[in-house]
This record gives sequence, C-alpha cells and structure tokens, in this order.
Amino acid sequence: MQDKTTRFWGGFAKLVSLNVVLTLIAVLLVLPFTWMVLASLKVLDEIGYDSWLPEVCQWHNYRDVFTMKGIFFGRWYWNTVFVSSWITFLQVFTSSLAAFSFARLRWKGRDNVFFLYLATMMLPGLVMMIPNYQNMILLGLVDSYAGLVIPASFSAFGTFLMRQFMMNIPKSLDEAAEIDGATKWQLYWDVVLPLARPALVTLTIFTFIGSYNNLFWPLVMMKTPDKYTLPIGMLSFQSSQGQQTNLLMAAVAMSVVPMIIIFVLMQKQLVKGIMLGGVKG
Amino acid sequence: MAISKKDIKEFAVGIGFLLPNILGFLAFTVIPLVMSIYMAFTDWNLEMHNYFRSEPITFVWFSNFVKLFSDPDFPQYFGNTFFMMIGIPFGVAGSLVAALLLNMEFTRGDGKRKLVVMMILCAVMAASFGLLAALGLGATGMTILLVSLVGGVFVIGSIGGKTIYRTLFYFPYFTAGVATFILWKKLYNPLNGPINNALRPLLDALTPVVIMISPACQAIGIVLLVIAGLFFLHMVRRKLRLWRDGETGIISVWLGMILLSLPLVFCWSWVSPTWMHVIMNTPEMKAVASASGELSFLSRDAKWTLLLMFLFLGIGWGRFLYAVYIAKRGFKCVADRGIGDSAIVDGSAMVLNMVLVGLCCVFWLLPEGASAEAGLQPPKWISDYYWAKPSLLIMGFWGAIGSNNMLLYLAGLSGVPQELYEAADIDGASSWQRFWHITWPQLANVTFFIMVMSVIGGLQGGFDMARVMTEGGPAGSTTTLAYYIYTQGFNTGRLGYASAVSWLLFLMVFTVTMFNWKFGNRYTNE
Repeated sequence: MQDKTTRFWGGFAKLVSLNVVLTLIAVLLVLPFTWMVLASLKVLDEIGYDSWLPEVCQWHNYRDVFTMKGIFFGRWYWNTVFVSSWITFLQVFTSSLAAFSFARLRWKGRDNVFFLYLATMMLPGLVMMIPNYQNMILLGLVDSYAGLVIPASFSAFGTFLMRQFMMNIPKSLDEAAEIDGATKWQLYWDVVLPLARPALVTLTIFTFIGSYNNLFWPLVMMKTPDKYTLPIGMLSFQSSQGQQTNLLMAAVAMSVVPMIIIFVLMQKQLVKGIMLGGVKG
Repeated sequence: MAISKKDIKEFAVGIGFLLPNILGFLAFTVIPLVMSIYMAFTDWNLEMHNYFRSEPITFVWFSNFVKLFSDPDFPQYFGNTFFMMIGIPFGVAGSLVAALLLNMEFTRGDGKRKLVVMMILCAVMAASFGLLAALGLGATGMTILLVSLVGGVFVIGSIGGKTIYRTLFYFPYFTAGVATFILWKKLYNPLNGPINNALRPLLDALTPVVIMISPACQAIGIVLLVIAGLFFLHMVRRKLRLWRDGETGIISVWLGMILLSLPLVFCWSWVSPTWMHVIMNTPEMKAVASASGELSFLSRDAKWTLLLMFLFLGIGWGRFLYAVYIAKRGFKCVADRGIGDSAIVDGSAMVLNMVLVGLCCVFWLLPEGASAEAGLQPPKWISDYYWAKPSLLIMGFWGAIGSNNMLLYLAGLSGVPQELYEAADIDGASSWQRFWHITWPQLANVTFFIMVMSVIGGLQGGFDMARVMTEGGPAGSTTTLAYYIYTQGFNTGRLGYASAVSWLLFLMVFTVTMFNWKFGNRYTNE
C-alpha cells in the first residue's frame, strides 16, 4: 500500500518537473513574440522603457500601418498572397504530372532523366540565380509578377516528394483501371491524384510557405515599391521608417499571422510531410 | 535493340506528362547551369551589357578565380561562412534534447491522476499569484506579465501535453524569415532594446564581483585552456582506442585528429595580434582597433598560451603517430570505417573546445571591462565587430531548437525498439547509460542525415540574416559567401565574378554531398 503511494508521488514529481522544464523552454522561445506584440501596442516614446507593457493599448497602430506614406502594406499583402498562390498552384500541378510520369509510367530513359532531376537538387540555388536574372532581363520580365512566378513554378524537390509518395500507391490499381479502359490521363486524374492527396497537401503547404517567405528572388527582381512582396516590403519599411518601432512591430506581427494560421490548421499534414521529405531525403 | 512502336508510344506518353515540368527544368535549371559555367569565365558585367550599352563580353579564362583568391577580404568571408556553422552542433543538440523531453511519458496513469495533477497545479499557480500580491511584487506589470505567461503555458501545456509544447517549440522556426529578423534587430538594439535593458542591472550587480576576482581571472583563463587541452587528449585517446578495437579506420582517425586540433591551433587567432590582423583585413577596422588598443589586448599572455597549446598538441599528435605508425597495434579494418563518428562526435568536441578557448578569452578581458569607469557594459550585439556573428548564432539557436530536426528526431525516437530499453532495465542501466548505449546509436543515422543537411544549408546560408539585420557588416564580419555573391552579382552587377564565386560554393557543397553518398549509407548500415 505504501509502495503504491510512493510510486504515485514519484510519478507525480516527475510529471511536474518535466512540465516545468518544458514550460521554461517554451516561454523562453515565445518571449520575443510577446515583446513584439506588446511593443506594437505602445506609443513610440514608450519603446525603450524597461517595462514591456504599454500604458494604454494603441490598437490604432495596426490601422496606421496601412495608411503610412510610402508603405503599401495592404498591397504587399495582396501581392504576396497572389504570387504565392500562383507559384503553389503551378508547382503542385507540374510536379504531380512529372511525378506521375516517373512513378507510374514506363518509358525508355525514364530513370536517367529522373537521376538528372535528383542530381540538380543538390545544386546551390545561387548558381542558377545569376544567369536566371540575366535571362529575365532579356525576356523583359524584371519587375513583373510573371518574373516572380514562372521560374518558381518548376521544382525538382516537389517532383521528388510526389514521386516518393506515388511509388507507394499499389500498382494493381493501374491494372484495374487499364482493364476498365481508362486512358493515362484518367488514371492520373481519377485514380492516382486522389490517392496522393496527403502528398499534395504537404507540397502545397511547403511551397506556399516557401514562396511567402522568399526574400532573395523578389529582392533581385522587383523595382517598383507597389509591386513588392511582403518580405522586401518589410525590408524597405525597415530602412525608410525603421525608427517607428511600434508600427514596424505591428507590421511584423501582421505578416506572421498567415503563417500561424496555416500552421495551426495544417499541423498534422505538415509534420507528416517533413517525415516524408526528410527521412527519405 | 529494336525500338518497337509500343516503345515510342510509351515514350511519347511519358514525356507528354513530363512536358510542362521538363520545359521549366530546361529553361530555369539546365540552361542557366550551362550559362553559369560560361559566365564564370567571362567579364560579364551589367554596367557594360544592358539595355543601353552592349560591349562585347570577353572570355577571361581563370582571371575571375585569380581575382577571388587574391581578394584580401575573401578569407574573411570564407571564414565567416564556416564560423556561422559552429551553431549547427548546438542547434542539433538542442533539438535532440527537446525531442527527448517531448518523447517522455506525459500521461502515465489514468485520467483520475491527471485530474489530481491539474487541480494541484492550478492551486500552486493561484497560491503563487497570491504570494506575489502579498509581497507587493505583483504591483509591477512586468512581474504579472511574466508570471501569467509562465503560468499560462504551464497549465495549458500540462493539460494539452505534447502537442501544445511541440507547437510552441516549433513557433520560432516556423515563422523564421524577414519578419523575425527585423524583430531580433530591435531586440538587439544596444541602446534601448529589451535584451540590453534586462542585462544592464545584472551587469551592474556583477561588476564588483568581477573586480573582486580579477586577480584570479588570468589563472581561470589558463585553467580553461588546460581543460580544453585535457579534453583534447581525452578525445584523442578515445579515437585511438576505437582504432585499436577496429571500430574506426585510418581515414576517420586522421579526420578526427584534424578536427580536434583545430581549436587549439586557432587559439592563436584569439590571443596573438598578428593573427588578429589576418582576420581583420579591412584597413578601417585595423585603424579603429589599433586606435582603441584592442589589437594588443592579449599579447602579454600569448606566449604562454602558445606554449601550453603546443604542449597538448604535441602530446596528442605524438601519441597518435606513435600508436598508429610506429607501434602499429590495432586491428586492420576498412580505412573509412567510423567516419560518421568522426564527423559527429569529434566535430562536436571541436566546437566545445572552441567555446572553452573563447571563454578563456572572456575571462582575460573581463577585468579590463569591469575596471572601466562605467563598469561592465552589455555588448553592442549586431553593431559590434566581435559580437555580430555570435549574436546571429544566438538567434539561430533560438530558431533551431524546435526545427524540422526536432520532428525528425521525434520520428526517430518512436522507431527505437522498446525491447532494447526493457533489456537495459533488467540489467539495471542508468538513464544516462540508456541514452548513450541505446538511444544515441539508434539515432545515429538521423543525426548523420541532419548534420549533412545542415552543413549543406550552412555553406549556402547567411544571406537573409545579413541582408535584413547587418548588411554584411560591421566591417564585413557577417558577410558569408552567399551574401558576397549577392552583393557582387546584384549590387555591383559583376555577374561573371559572382558566378565564379557561386561555383566555388558549388564545389564545397558537392564535396559534402559526395561525402554523404559515400559514407552516409555505410554509416546507417553499421
């Protein structure tokens, strides 16, 4: 009897100490965000104070960001979502088509071509950036949305991820579909694609987040302020009006929000996708 | 081999599906790749080849590469790239610890126990609030804020368990980007940033203590160096034992020896003024440093340190060369066996030793700072030449704990067979032994994968941070190769030169990838 009680309290102590450690780590990691939100609610003069708390919450800071001179925050938001959506749609579409060809069709030279794809995955992206920029100049696509979207619409990584997943869908389905007289397109559209949904969702999230956060390419390509995406927009905000820390923090907070929403909604698929892409990598 | 009609049809269908992708692949990967090689050997410059001017592009052979290696600033940028990779083992260790904690049992027992736990936790929280209010501490908003933050996370985490903590851990990594870099730039603000605001009272309290112990500081520094040296010898002994037992081949022993020796060799750069000159190559920086006398700050101790480090290096290398090439005791085994062990364990030991040597430097510098008029001052973080890289490393660590690596480790942990732990329990193994003899070897392939990927990422990294937070400065101290390529290619328009640098980067990435292909699988199978 006494043994049981000891064990109960022993387990209890362990549980509490574990939670204490985890809480401390979590709080340390979240503190910068806490400061960000609180600073965004302050009057500018309060920023340097020791206390993190605003005297009176200045909720209008968030509205003011949208009406600042030279800062097209709403426009940037829209640009980013627009560009990211297009990139995501095109990349998922082309990747799944290619993956279907690599994983479910048999043709001469298939494995060689796939190896070529694999080999380019290890190339540093920077190597291709410079000639790509030159080509964009030649095509006259600098400072246009098309120049942001088109080069990013094809991805060796996406193809690889989709192929890994499609390889695991039972081959017998193909045969069954063939007996029913389905064309290859029907096989792709009606059989394989619905079954590859988890991989599609994962790739969608990855691509969207990747292009939402992308700094390098838009920075190189975009010249007119009202065509900026959020990352470069924030950068120009920082360099032109960076002294207004409260407004800057409000903008930072708002630009992080879509990420958080996606993460909370899609957490499960995301974690699964990282395993899929990482473990086999 | 006859090509039948069926073959052609299959090929046509296959390529048909591939078509949209392969067009893009050709246009944005293959063609640029070929172009990039060509550009690296030309003087392609946007100032000469644009809409308005089109002077002929000349093929300049290797002069871009010659220019690169004769650029006095280049060694610094090269070194910065590697310096920033010091953060990798720390980040990986952080995510491993986080994964191990999250993998512990949260809800052992039944629901009733959990309810009891919850009630007690809430009672404790309420009591601590009451206590704070009674002591009058709760009167300041900051205390309330911190206590409620801790309490909130604690209660929600205890109820929600793993998922809540995992989400909170993952948060910094997930949101990483321009936004969080801007946030950290504000946090690091030396005058009124929250970090320095919090540090100032702490350092004020610390100043008298440092003045008190300042006579001992030099001794402490030397003790730290001795510890670093002994640790080096210990790791050498471990390496040689593994070699004797036939668990590591000669290549990995050499790799391990080189990695382990690096911190002791680089000691010089911290303690000897001439090496400092090599690192700080820009003339302005030299002027600033020599004006403030910073360059000579450790010269009086340099000789001692050199002597010490030579002693340890000599003993270690002597033992190694004697055991391997003269006494030749040891099982013969494949030359590259155990190379993963060298990369991971010795790499981490190297970083640890670097930290020890760095700490020694800190102790030697402290008394000077404390005896200054204003006492110890918090660092200027990203606007300070010496602190800029460590600042970025701290920020990187913040994001690296709850990263994808943590999730990979969690997946790896769930794959460890439970029977191993049960067997260990029967043998009465301590939890450290359980970790070191079961968990760590079982996770070896995950660790190897993470390390290789991080190194590949690290070689190409540092652009976003440098662009948003420091613009590569102060005095080039945060300019990595990636940022250098950007400034050369897109700020000054020297596309040819930038291509040459990017091909150097490619060669390094390629080497690591080859290393992975050659040894990664073998290490996994062992």
